Amino acid sequence: MTEEKKRILVVEDEKNLCLLYQEELSKEGYEVVTANTAAEALALIKEQNFDLVITDIRMPAKNGIELVSEIMGVRRDIPVIINTAYESYRHDFMTWAADAYLIKSASLDELKAKIKELIG
Amino acid sequence: MIARYHPFLHQFPTSGSKELQIFSILAQSFFQPFSLLDNLLVILTALTAGSGLGFNRAMLFLVESGELRGEFWLGPASVEEAASLWEMLSRPGISYAEIIESNRRLVTDGVNPLQQKIKKLSYRLDSSGLTLPALAASSRQIIHVQEASQEPLVDRHFLDLIGVDEFLCIPLLSPDEVFGEIILDNAITKEPIKLRDIELASLCGLAAGNYIYVTKLQKRIVEMKKQAALGEMALFVTHQLRNPMVTIGGFVDQLLEPELDEARKKRNLKIIREEVSRLEEVVSRLTRFFHIEIKEKVPVKLQEIFKLTVEAVKPLTTERRVAIETEVQPGVSHVYSDPVYLGEALRNLVENAIEALTDGGTVKLKAFEENQDWIVIAVEDNGRGIPESIKDKVFDAFITTKEKGLGLGLAYVKRFIEANNGWIKVESQEGKGTVFKLYFKARPE
Repeated sequence: MTEEKKRILVVEDEKNLCLLYQEELSKEGYEVVTANTAAEALALIKEQNFDLVITDIRMPAKNGIELVSEIMGVRRDIPVIINTAYESYRHDFMTWAADAYLIKSASLDELKAKIKELIG
Repeated sequence: MIARYHPFLHQFPTSGSKELQIFSILAQSFFQPFSLLDNLLVILTALTAGSGLGFNRAMLFLVESGELRGEFWLGPASVEEAASLWEMLSRPGISYAEIIESNRRLVTDGVNPLQQKIKKLSYRLDSSGLTLPALAASSRQIIHVQEASQEPLVDRHFLDLIGVDEFLCIPLLSPDEVFGEIILDNAITKEPIKLRDIELASLCGLAAGNYIYVTKLQKRIVEMKKQAALGEMALFVTHQLRNPMVTIGGFVDQLLEPELDEARKKRNLKIIREEVSRLEEVVSRLTRFFHIEIKEKVPVKLQEIFKLTVEAVKPLTTERRVAIETEVQPGVSHVYSDPVYLGEALRNLVENAIEALTDGGTVKLKAFEENQDWIVIAVEDNGRGIPESIKDKVFDAFITTKEKGLGLGLAYVKRFIEANNGWIKVESQEGKGTVFKLYFKARPE
């Protein structure tokens, strides 16, 4: 029996970055779904099961921090990684609700390691 | 019944008791639109204006790099000069501006012998701090010197220079700093210095110290604000560069994998090219922002520049389904500006307006004569308006509510219109819309 793949939702408005995460994380053996906006992400979370959410912060309309707080309202158990270009949001109260706060980097090693740590 | 008085006077008070006059001058000098040194000179003038209470001459030293340096020596050089100077200063209704003008003449015309002498004076606060005049500043005490020629604590060279046997040294202080020192004497009238004079002078010294302190603090705040803005800018730019760099790095890493097929390689290179273009765009927008220089203003036809602007934003108006209307008041045909910068500024304003709108909104681009001196170009939208909380920040660089963009748009427009010797005004009501008005001089300069 093959073990079912862990599902990751990547929320990122940069299409190229989305593609990069999708490809790189699939290589690690995860099933990756992407959303370009917080609203899209929230709809997906309500419908489907995910083992992990990775979200950007600065996105059009609703930002990633608001998304984190809404995810907490819907599915408190999903681990969330905030993955952003902005160091400054680290001090934002709501980012504490996330399980990890990573600064976007060209090397995805840190992100991959954190995912492994959180969901195996 | 009520009576109203304006708190700030432009006139030098010449009536009332001397104490009241000095008190009034001290209080008012804070609000005069002149430099710190000018206002300090006014305080010294107050102390030396007249032959009654007060002094004949005043020296001002300021501390710089641990040294007490002579700045000004105010007062008549002779009995004759004293008469005319005091007559002028006690003229009813003389203004601060006139006093300042007279002081400036006195200390800069190069003929005043006192001024020439004092500019050469300097005393180190550490090594000469044990003799007068530096002792007052270094010990933070008011020192009244009598029989100076007999007093071993008075520097001999200074004594020769000041040429009087009695003088008063007042340090200019803040709680933890020494800013300078005032030295007062009665060289012309030879009146002995009374206790009341000392009290009055020490009050002036405190006020002057306070004044220097506040001015320095203000300067420091401005400097800090600049640094903060610079820090914010650096941060913002770093962020703008990070996303494309992460993408480029990630796809380059894939290219380095040996098993990647040709199609993927091509695709990756295309993505990398796109992201490099974005980096270029960020850099070129920053460059444009920092280099606004209007060399020559030409008459720019309003109808034409409006037409070009409308065309430039067409993709955006179509995408957002927003209408755009233009209206040029009859009789108003052009403004004086640089068409390239003006075009860019208008595009920025119109794009902003469009982005503030949803389906069915309208942007109006208008030009009209505000009065005979100013022509206005107004960009109006009926969108959501600017939230009260950020209203006074809209023109700051690197402040944006948008995900994309550097937050330079409105800051750019403001820099442009100021470089064009005009100004910008924003009127906005939440839920009703926003108008940005650019003011252009109606006639060429």
